[in-house]
Amino acid sequence: MSKRRWNREIVWAIAQKDIRAITRSKQIWIGMIALPLAFCLVLPLILVLVMRNLDVASWSADTVTFAEDLIGGLPAGDLQSFLLALPSLQHQMLYMAVNYLITPLFLLIPVITAGLIAANSFVGEKERRTLESLLFAPLEIRDLFLGKILATFLPTMVITYGGFLLYAVVVNALAYPMFGQLIVPTWDWAVLMLWLIPSVVLVTILLNVLISARVKGFQEAQQLGGVIVLPVVALMVGQLSGALLLSATLIGIIGGVLFLISFLLLRTITKRNQRHVLFEKQVH
Amino acid sequence: MKDLMIDAQCVSKRFDGQQVLDEVSLAVPRGEVVGLLGSNGSGKTTMIRLLNGVINRDGGAMRVGGHDPQTDGTPIRAMSGILTEGAGLYHELSGRDNLDFFAKLYGVADRAPIGQLLDQFELTAHQHKPVGQYSTGMKKRLGLAKALLHEPQLLFLDEPTNGLDPEGIQMVIQYLRDLNRERGTTILLCSHVLHQLESICHRYVFLEQGKLLASGTQQELETAYMQHVVLRVETGLDIGEAAGSEGAIAAYAGHPVRQIEPGVLEFRLPSKNAISPLLQAILAESWVHAADITNRSLEALYFEIRSSGGERHV
Repeated sequence: MSKRRWNREIVWAIAQKDIRAITRSKQIWIGMIALPLAFCLVLPLILVLVMRNLDVASWSADTVTFAEDLIGGLPAGDLQSFLLALPSLQHQMLYMAVNYLITPLFLLIPVITAGLIAANSFVGEKERRTLESLLFAPLEIRDLFLGKILATFLPTMVITYGGFLLYAVVVNALAYPMFGQLIVPTWDWAVLMLWLIPSVVLVTILLNVLISARVKGFQEAQQLGGVIVLPVVALMVGQLSGALLLSATLIGIIGGVLFLISFLLLRTITKRNQRHVLFEKQVH
Repeated sequence: MKDLMIDAQCVSKRFDGQQVLDEVSLAVPRGEVVGLLGSNGSGKTTMIRLLNGVINRDGGAMRVGGHDPQTDGTPIRAMSGILTEGAGLYHELSGRDNLDFFAKLYGVADRAPIGQLLDQFELTAHQHKPVGQYSTGMKKRLGLAKALLHEPQLLFLDEPTNGLDPEGIQMVIQYLRDLNRERGTTILLCSHVLHQLESICHRYVFLEQGKLLASGTQQELETAYMQHVVLRVETGLDIGEAAGSEGAIAAYAGHPVRQIEPGVLEFRLPSKNAISPLLQAILAESWVHAADITNRSLEALYFEIRSSGGERHV
């Protein structure tokens, strides 16, 4: 592979072409939109409405103690003092739920969306017998991969950020009467959205590309790619059980590690998939 | 030999333990149209893939436009256009969007040729329809337009007329002939529909089960492989009652002859040199309205070469 810089026109042409194909495929659209709608519209709607109408006075002493311990057990700092300054346990619980307990769900949206697009993007070229045309063209394989990565990264980020915007609007609209101020986003959200999610999306795409370049069909690629969801589910369980609270520092570290993994994966992918290897494995 | 655009020497390729190409040599002079012929599975497509550097050879040497496809394939792919059997188009995109996309991949800054090619291949009216709605012939024509976008010096065409109707075939063959004549584009053309190639190819390479059977111009191949000439003559000559019934073989002027239908005789001659004396002899006795050599078609030549096993190299 040549050492010259990547060809921006070719990378962008491939990305644009793929994005256009996504916007024209109902099958992919529905899959991409359904999850963010459930997580960003329906879930916060139910969550905030239920919590607004909670009758804390009727809670058992054990439940109240558990809730108070959860907040009391937080590391001393801005979050803890902010929570303790809120007027009631109900306010504190709602604030915790919408800003912390729900965050791992926001990792599921990009992971699932990126998996869906990435599997379709690569295996789709093979199934439609167009990969041959790309490999016969005067482009570097590295540029082909970069174009494909961009074609998944951009729509995934748009969906994720769009979903978060919807979430913030729904939560604030419903919680404003109680708090008298906007409660989403916090600074932790900014780190999550701008640092952790891009890194998670990159790793998801690259793992999918790695798998897609080896498997035969779209379904197989999706099933294998689905394995990537598991660590996110584990994170969510940890978060919900209170065992792990994603602080900005922790999010920063995880994001950094994931970016490093992405870099290593990209190197592996371009090394393992030279033109003739890709052609002999994928074109018949 | 003229300046060679493609020079392949003793090229071999194996797939999954099967020998797909076995020491095949191929020479394509710059500016010529060469037909790569053979039945399905003879190794034509593999040869095109090797020449483009999208797969690697197991043995032999290759140069395309001075570059080795295996180590320096990008300049070859940049100067070549290719039409594969499946055409490799995006069905969800329109015809114009497909050409726009490939123009970017091939670094074509000027988009004017897209309109000209759509026009040339009678696709302008359908340019905004998704390619999935195109007929097989339209896809083939769009695939050809895609291959020509960057005005390549070298064209690889794998079965370019498959799926085209007779008018489409005529249009494509005429276009390729003009392209070669006006721009000097070198063309390597794979096909198993041999009669379509006769009016366009300068020379031929015959492959059979991964081996080179024969190569040369039609005249060279005829000289080397044609053992006799079959001449069909439309004449009033009476060759006698014994041979008068259709199909029965008699002799006239020392050559075997049979009546194909009333007024049409078929002579078997040792060479073309025997044609004039034969016709003179017939004309001394009767009229002649037409005389054609029937076994000089490319197809007849192909079967002759196959049956002889292609030992006689030219």
